[in-house]
Amino acid sequence: MSKMKTRYLRYAMLTIVLGLVLYLSLGFGSRSFEAYCPFGGVESLWGLFTTGEFSCALGPLNLSFLLALLVLALVCKKAFCGWACPIGLLGELAARLGGWAWKKRPRVPPRLNHTLKLLRYVVLAAALFFTYRTGELVLRGYDPFYLIFSGFGHGSVGIFSVVVLVGMIIGMWVVPMFFCRYLCPMGAVFDPFSRIALLRVTRDTSKCTGCGRCSGACLQDIPVQKLGNVRYRDCTNCLDCLDACPEKDALQLRAEL
Amino acid sequence: MRLPTFVIPVLVTLALTAGYGLRTSFTRPTTVRTFAEGTGVKATFIVDGVRCKGTAMFLSSLYEDIPGIFGIEIFAGERTAVFTYDPKVVTRDRIRAIMEAPIPFKDGTTSQVFKCMSFR
Repeated sequence: MSKMKTRYLRYAMLTIVLGLVLYLSLGFGSRSFEAYCPFGGVESLWGLFTTGEFSCALGPLNLSFLLALLVLALVCKKAFCGWACPIGLLGELAARLGGWAWKKRPRVPPRLNHTLKLLRYVVLAAALFFTYRTGELVLRGYDPFYLIFSGFGHGSVGIFSVVVLVGMIIGMWVVPMFFCRYLCPMGAVFDPFSRIALLRVTRDTSKCTGCGRCSGACLQDIPVQKLGNVRYRDCTNCLDCLDACPEKDALQLRAEL
Repeated sequence: MRLPTFVIPVLVTLALTAGYGLRTSFTRPTTVRTFAEGTGVKATFIVDGVRCKGTAMFLSSLYEDIPGIFGIEIFAGERTAVFTYDPKVVTRDRIRAIMEAPIPFKDGTTSQVFKCMSFR
């Protein structure tokens, strides 16, 4: 497979997933589009343990996707986010549009970037606390996946939902993968699995010329050119860094313990 | 060990397929209501409008006083309602008509809340 085809293959997969979720969201099929969200599996755990029932609109598919994707994260980091998440696709499209529009995109200082990433743990804690306490998916009104595919449906909170969604889209346009980096609670759940995952990008220092194109291509701002081994929890194994690398075999996908 | 890049999409596809296949291991109804003792026969309806536990409870409440309905299991995630009923007393078309009937609201208006997409 030539280098450029990796990204095209990824976009093809994301488009199929997007089409499937749209198909469900338009009322076709026997399931709600929400069944595709693995975070629903996390939200359903308390209800299942305490009453043996799924909370609100959650169902078995949420839970089975969650389990399968946690195993996937143990093997190849946050590959779900880069290869099969519709919000990841939205974030990437917004970031690429932003890339064309900005002459020089403002960069979030590394320390602030690191601190802001803690927000997703706050979102995770809030989502679990309110869901477990009320049995309802109370954060639906602020969830871009739900708001977009339900068309601001049942559970959205009027103008607040519009403001939050528009804010997130602008955020994704300014800061690549804004929602995924700072706010996605599923990303927080994946974090510990992603850090120890088996498959990761590695850099051969003897072949690398240090041109920095790999780091420039990374929407997660991972400094690939400085690493021997990309262990970052935010890596989605999108392999854009491999696409961008001009040197043969300087960057490789490897399985390493 | 070096791996080809197509390993990632293959693994993602496998995980999604496995997740879809595993769903039957976790299937549980959102709501179970039993109105009367009896074995009867079962009919499964795909119902647009069943979104959550609240709407599932509301749908089940429409059948509380209907003779011949023994019970109902609703799976909100699958938008599915499984009725146990006595076919000599109530028909599937009648069950469908009840769910699709306009619901009166407090402000005097009526609205169709549920729509049967298919049944078997």
